[in-house]
Amino acid sequence: MVVNEKGKLAITGVIIGVAAVVLTVLGNPGNMGFCIACFLRDTAGAMHLHTAPIVEYVRPEIIGIILGSFALSVLRGDFRPRGGSSPLLRFIIGFIVMLGALVFLGCPLRMVIRLGGGDLNALIALVGFIAGIGVGCVFLNKGFSLGRAEKQSGLEGVSMPFMTILLFVLFLAVPSLFLFSETGPGSMHAPIAVALLAGLVVGAFAERTRLCMAGGIRDIFLIRDFTLITGFAAIFIAVLLGNIITGSFKLGFSDQPIAHSMHIWNFLGMFAVGLGSVMLGGCPLRQLILAGEGSTDSAVAVLGMIAGAAFAHNFSLAASAGTGPGLNGKIALVIGIVILLAIASVATFRRRGE
Amino acid sequence: MEAEDLKVATFQSHYGAILFKKRVAGEAVLKPVPRSLSSSCGTAVFFTSPFNPETADEYLEAVYKKEGDCWSVIWKR
Repeated sequence: MVVNEKGKLAITGVIIGVAAVVLTVLGNPGNMGFCIACFLRDTAGAMHLHTAPIVEYVRPEIIGIILGSFALSVLRGDFRPRGGSSPLLRFIIGFIVMLGALVFLGCPLRMVIRLGGGDLNALIALVGFIAGIGVGCVFLNKGFSLGRAEKQSGLEGVSMPFMTILLFVLFLAVPSLFLFSETGPGSMHAPIAVALLAGLVVGAFAERTRLCMAGGIRDIFLIRDFTLITGFAAIFIAVLLGNIITGSFKLGFSDQPIAHSMHIWNFLGMFAVGLGSVMLGGCPLRQLILAGEGSTDSAVAVLGMIAGAAFAHNFSLAASAGTGPGLNGKIALVIGIVILLAIASVATFRRRGE
Repeated sequence: MEAEDLKVATFQSHYGAILFKKRVAGEAVLKPVPRSLSSSCGTAVFFTSPFNPETADEYLEAVYKKEGDCWSVIWKR
């Protein structure tokens, strides 16, 4: 049986949705079976890059996603080391994307997972995410580009997967090197083997199908194409059904797991993530997949997200569950959005003027 | 769009696809890059008119022609 692209995306979405529910049942925090931003933040904490005691853990899901993408792209001939497309700008954009995600408390993938759990705060965030993507599409239509990515050496291309393997080996062999939360979200996790396997499977499927939480909405805006959005919709449906079956579905704004109801900041947080994702060419999940395929530009964006997570917790920029972001986080997010708009404007109109 | 003359052009940026679509004579459609051609999720232009390499600009990456179930390269940067 030949399955078309939409069918493959739907299957991938269901796999991610089911994996998210299973990981939550096996120990991950509520509505956080997968969250690229949260898991990068936890991993940054484990590596002593920040010292927020409740969010420190080396998340095997992140390692699995990068290595799943790496392994399949090598096997299928998709592994192409490339980079040099404004790496420092991508670092900065990745940093701001992480800031937006930590003000909302989740990446686009967790936003959909939260929606599937009945968290209506994520609906406000979705409106912000769509608005951010819409603004990004205006820039794309006017000529926005961060420049051409050129071929790079194999050594450069395997650097990110190699660092990922090294991190996992050290995590297993010398765990005393790392910090691990004893309370809070960082202390809640599925067994290592299951988390790694889930990451590997999701990484491989997402690599094959190019699943991207921002790309689906972007393609509807830009070319009226509904292919990529299939994955987004399938994740939502799978998580929704999974939560109903496991009795975890709870509709409403209040008392949602690791969430807050400061609507304007949920909106603006995901606005930044949507705009930044369009500028980077994909959501945080897609950046991990592309890094696994040999894109050093995406690897730099991931490093920017890790740095953003560290700064977010060291300077009290991240929101707190229940109470939302403090003054520092609000100011930083507004500045971040201004910087994104400034980069987008210069990268759009400078090129047209050349 | 006639399958026997079908071609697809891929680009460095979405803007390049927009500019190319304006230059191409005849029917042309913006669509995602076929997965069989690339793991990138950029915008491609599907068209049927003959491809003139002199119309290539800085944004154009490659042009492929449909041959049976496969795409064969007819121009590449």
